[in-house]
Amino acid sequence: SYIIEERSFLRCEDLVYGRMSFKGFNPEIEKLMIQMNSKCKEEEIEEDDKMEADVSDEEMARRYETLVGTIGKKFLRKRDQRVLKDDDEDDEVEEGNSNTRPSKRAKKMFLKPQD
Amino acid sequence: MAAERGAAAEALVGQVVLPGDLLLLPAHYDEDAEGERLRLSAGAAPQGRLLCGPGLRRSGAGLLVTKCGLLRHRPGGGGAYWVDSQQKRYVPVQGDHVIGIVTAKAGDVFRLDVGGSEPASLSYLAFEGATKRNRPNVHVGDLIYGQFVVANKDMEPEMVCIDSSGKSSGMGIIGQDGFLFKVSLGLIRKLLAPKCEIIQELSQLYPFELVLGMNGRIWVKAKTVQQTLIIVNILEACEHMTSQQRKQALAKLSGN
Repeated sequence: SYIIEERSFLRCEDLVYGRMSFKGFNPEIEKLMIQMNSKCKEEEIEEDDKMEADVSDEEMARRYETLVGTIGKKFLRKRDQRVLKDDDEDDEVEEGNSNTRPSKRAKKMFLKPQD
Repeated sequence: MAAERGAAAEALVGQVVLPGDLLLLPAHYDEDAEGERLRLSAGAAPQGRLLCGPGLRRSGAGLLVTKCGLLRHRPGGGGAYWVDSQQKRYVPVQGDHVIGIVTAKAGDVFRLDVGGSEPASLSYLAFEGATKRNRPNVHVGDLIYGQFVVANKDMEPEMVCIDSSGKSSGMGIIGQDGFLFKVSLGLIRKLLAPKCEIIQELSQLYPFELVLGMNGRIWVKAKTVQQTLIIVNILEACEHMTSQQRKQALAKLSGN
């Protein structure tokens, strides 16, 4: 049937943890008290975490946007790095050395000999 | 001999019941219409299993009272009924956190006195971070806060000082100094209730540390001996004081 016999009061009543400390007498036990009693009230704590974030979500997104580029540049090969630099400079300085630029810009690929 | 007619369990919640009283439960806990009725009438009948707590025993369609006290009911989680009785003698129950006193070391096992009929055993490996080479530093006469892992009337009770995930979470040897005394089990449960007034009022007085064992033992430690003794006296007396008298006593103390 659906009746269970139980001899422990712990399952029936909602009792708190037996070890307690007040006014900072034992800081470890005070931490434990919060931890133990928060197992029952996990929902409230989840909400608090969102409020207490030091860095807002927007800032995180912006930071990551530029971060990916920065870290990505670190792993470029040497030739690709020059290409990148040229791209940046090109935006500012349009004139000058336009002859060498296209050849440098095109990656040196294998040219099949025409037979 | 005429059988006693039982009374409905819900009617007696919060009233005194005596051993021998039969409590009738609503029909959806019957064994006959078990499966079908529970599935069909999902709205009316509470799903889940009924917990028959200490002081009650299952008998046929109802619950038989075995201890005198107040009948309590908890509606959440399938419902639970139990009898809130008063006693001083502790009977080891599995899962209870208790304070034990080490009385002997027998090889790999410590014998603890928990106030029951038999001394409980505690293996030296049942502490956090204990290995065969790294033994816990436990001597005869130490106080240990642990929980029962085996406790029934046929076997010797066994205790451990770690929980199921292997962490100690506050259990283990209770430190030096402090004062251990015994109270009745009902008071312990009252003190362990969430938002207990006595504990809240006491916490405003001095900084102190408190360990409550379900076997009726309380350990208190405060900065000076006098403060410790004051807290001990309040805890011992608050069982028989009304809340008014308790507030007066505490006001006198905090005025001093």
